[in-house]
Amino acid sequence: MSKNSDKQITSKQFMRQLWRYKRGSISRREFLGVTGLGMATAVMGAAIPSLLPQKSWASTDLGDRLVFSTWPNYWNQANLDEFTANTGVNIQVNAFGSNEEMLAKLQAGGTGWDVFVPTNYTISNYVELGLIQELDLSRIPNYDASANNPKFAGPATVNGKVYCVPKNWGTTGFIINSNKITSGPKSWKDFFEVTKGEGSGHTIVHDYQLTTIGAALCALGYSFNSIDPNELAEAEAVLIESKPHLFAITSDYQPGMRSGDAWMSICWNGDATQLHNDLPEMQYVIASDGGEIWTDFYAIPAEAPHLDAAYAFLNYMQDPAVQARDAEAHGYAPTDARAIALQPASLATDPILHPAEELMNGLEFGAAQTLTDPNRAELIARFKSA
Amino acid sequence: MAALLAPTTLWFLVMLIMPLIVILIFSFGERAAVGGYGGGFTFEQYANLPARLKAFQNTLTYAPLGTLLSLLVAYPLAYFLALKVDRRFKLVLLVLVIVPFWTSLLIRTYAWIYILGGRGIPTILEWIGIEGVRLINTPTAVLIGIVYGYLPLMVFPVYVSLEKLDKSLLEASNDLGGNSFKTFLQITLPLSMPGIATGCMLVFILLMGEFLIPAFLGGGKVFFIGNAMVDLFLQSRNWPFGSAVAATLVVIMLITVSIYMRLAMRNKTGADQSLM
Amino acid sequence: MTSVAAFRNVSKRYGEITAARNLNLDVASGEFLSFLGPSGCGKTTSLRMIAGFEQPSEGEVFLEGICVNDVPAYSRPVNMVFQHYALFPHLNVESNVAYGLKQRSPKPPTGEIHNRVHEMLELVQLTGYSLRQTWELSGGQQQRVALARALINKPKVLLLDEPLAALDRKLRREMQIELQNLQRNVGITFILVTHDQEEALSMSDRVCIMREGEIAQVGSPLDLYDRPRNQYVADFVGKSNFFYGVIEQVRTWKVDIRLDCGIPVVLNSSRSFNSHKNGDKICISVRPEQLVLARDESNIPEDSAIKSTARIMNRIFLGEQIEYLLCDERLGEFLALSSRHNELNEKPFETNEVVFVAWSRDATLILDDDERDKPNVS
Repeated sequence: MSKNSDKQITSKQFMRQLWRYKRGSISRREFLGVTGLGMATAVMGAAIPSLLPQKSWASTDLGDRLVFSTWPNYWNQANLDEFTANTGVNIQVNAFGSNEEMLAKLQAGGTGWDVFVPTNYTISNYVELGLIQELDLSRIPNYDASANNPKFAGPATVNGKVYCVPKNWGTTGFIINSNKITSGPKSWKDFFEVTKGEGSGHTIVHDYQLTTIGAALCALGYSFNSIDPNELAEAEAVLIESKPHLFAITSDYQPGMRSGDAWMSICWNGDATQLHNDLPEMQYVIASDGGEIWTDFYAIPAEAPHLDAAYAFLNYMQDPAVQARDAEAHGYAPTDARAIALQPASLATDPILHPAEELMNGLEFGAAQTLTDPNRAELIARFKSA
Repeated sequence: MAALLAPTTLWFLVMLIMPLIVILIFSFGERAAVGGYGGGFTFEQYANLPARLKAFQNTLTYAPLGTLLSLLVAYPLAYFLALKVDRRFKLVLLVLVIVPFWTSLLIRTYAWIYILGGRGIPTILEWIGIEGVRLINTPTAVLIGIVYGYLPLMVFPVYVSLEKLDKSLLEASNDLGGNSFKTFLQITLPLSMPGIATGCMLVFILLMGEFLIPAFLGGGKVFFIGNAMVDLFLQSRNWPFGSAVAATLVVIMLITVSIYMRLAMRNKTGADQSLM
Repeated sequence: MTSVAAFRNVSKRYGEITAARNLNLDVASGEFLSFLGPSGCGKTTSLRMIAGFEQPSEGEVFLEGICVNDVPAYSRPVNMVFQHYALFPHLNVESNVAYGLKQRSPKPPTGEIHNRVHEMLELVQLTGYSLRQTWELSGGQQQRVALARALINKPKVLLLDEPLAALDRKLRREMQIELQNLQRNVGITFILVTHDQEEALSMSDRVCIMREGEIAQVGSPLDLYDRPRNQYVADFVGKSNFFYGVIEQVRTWKVDIRLDCGIPVVLNSSRSFNSHKNGDKICISVRPEQLVLARDESNIPEDSAIKSTARIMNRIFLGEQIEYLLCDERLGEFLALSSRHNELNEKPFETNEVVFVAWSRDATLILDDDERDKPNVS
């Protein structure tokens, strides 16, 4: 689809956007921009035929569809289109807001997912619950373990078996609108102070446990991953105290930041890149008192209905050029050195995507225990409904 | 007779009773280590209900309020459509009322994030000198979203009751000395009560479980019991507690609805006439 | 002006359609007047213009000598009984009847309302029904509630829009009589709309026959029957035989006419309402009971307008009278009505019998030929 010719989007494009949109959250801006006012006519036009799978013409029959669950704004549509064109496999993309939500779906069963994108701290839980399957790396020849920093790829291996292949890595800090927040917060401690001070009414925290509770714990000088009940109780007090000053509790913070309603938010560095590129006053901060470093992976659920297509997809996505294109679309750094080598120098040296090592010293990978700890789960839910 | 009733019974069993039983069983269980349902028998979940008091309070405040506001907005619209609009345009206008329903509520609600957000109505208000108005992520925004989202559900029952209202009754009232206002209060309004009751019931019941509008337009700060349940099932994976909340909601709903029904039945005199 | 209600050059148009055209009418106080005509003739529109539900496109509506064009329905001193009664389903009988009083400002005291309601219910013989729901009542009882409700405000004119149409035939007869009695008792002007000529003729002081939005003729029932102004009225009121022809010669007292079938007729010119000139196409009308039938030619009066023979095609016993359908080569088919015991004391005629037929000059009307397409027997 040529860039110049898509003033009027096709119904197929529309449906794709709609699916992305329905599943997810962050790409709404894109959704509204891309579809614009043409949507009603597009839907009424030829929406239904576009849902029908195309005839496969690949040499080996991979079936006609694949269900891919990932994070919002975290894929390059051109890659998916190319994969479909080459294999005849139509990809249905579901976008989720949190690992907790993904786990809940997989636990409930019957998802129909073929490939999904878990974050490092969830993998051992998935293995334990038998929700994902061991990968046959011979079916993913494009994956080169040696090109991946073991620091990022490590969590893929559980009990000596490989369950996933890495996708991207990043950090979780916070973003400020420097036009509005002038005190220059540097830590999570500052973050919560500003929330009650000059940022009152304009701060966003995430609506799931890991980062929001983690941030409060860091502000208190505790581990990002703590499950100590006493420390959690203190963290809850911090959160409850800040709640009246919050603009929103949501992981969908880009619209609020862009509209100027919100001035500060817990933020992933890729989103920070997107915001900063559009609005230079948006400044990303890696908190000096801690925070999260993370890797996202591709994994195959135990009950994946289209296994061959899933492996073909994983292998395709591990191609360095494909990875580079993927990163181009969403801004997060690949874990694969081969892909980084293909990226423009500006990206490979971007301080938000590749912060100096010493800045990352205090960051922790999310711990598996946070995902299953009932106290953390109840704390965040209680905080939201308070 | 039994054979004829069998499908209905089955339907009730499968669609209504079974899920309720499952929820009841879950609600007395314990959360499994990694989340979900872990069996057991305990009243712990019900004991923990006060942790969601605010969500219950919010729902029980904004559901009736939202219903009332929907009615206040929908009634004039339905009245206009049923009694004032030329027959030729009626269908077109009715379709226009439903058209938004063809797209997902999610998309429509999302549009309101922009309308109510900092660059929307507050900016327009600034132009005319009213500064510092915050709409998005407030109860007001949630109520606006509710009225918008539920309008057709309220408009249609009211419209139907007004549409089938015998117009000669209005003339009769007029003829007997009642001006338009008196006629509306004494004839039109009482005779459209069945539509009002149906619309309010529909909107109220759905609002009790609403989570999307408060999540989007309340920014997670105006928390309904529906949001609490979404959280418990989809984030905390605390199915037993989620089930206890759900079971409690069902009970609250049954109580409020039966009180409402009793009140509505009180002036059934004309109501069941025009229901026919 | 003594009229309680009046139209002055009133027309009513709905877009292209003219429902009422140039109406002029005075309704006298205390009168019982009926608008009679087929559906779509404008009678209901006329009634609704008096009630105030429709505004005339042109002309003026007067009530008690005052132009009420700009007076809304709820302020007009008239009340209406609706075709399907339009009783308020959510109110009981008492509240329905009291409705009109309660709209007044200041509202009369409760005790007075109560008394007046009971007076009204007594008037329509529904004492004891005050707490009933209206939908529990029979059609006739609902009719009475509607009457009581419309009369409680003592209107100057009571408008009745086909009030009896929904009742069965027997009940309708009873209600007709009751309505007449009621009207005499309360002394209020009644204006009734009906398509039932028997109803209109039997109840009304005057009948206004309407046709395609225009008043065809206003007059007492007798007037309309004996002296219809045009073929439409003659046709609508009672049965008539029509024969078509051309005026040959207008003389001082007489008119020479040649029917289309060739038969010459001489009629009294006083039997024509409109002035005709030689060559005008006309229609002559004869009531069936004015035909004289005889076996013996000598029994036919000498000065008859016409004399002919005809074959009895069919006969219908109507009790005291017998209706014959006759046929003649030249005159075509026509009806005659004769008493079983006429002065000649002849036995009833048999089917296929050929008899002499005649009618007098005075019995024959000369009308404009405005209905030539229609069958001559109605």
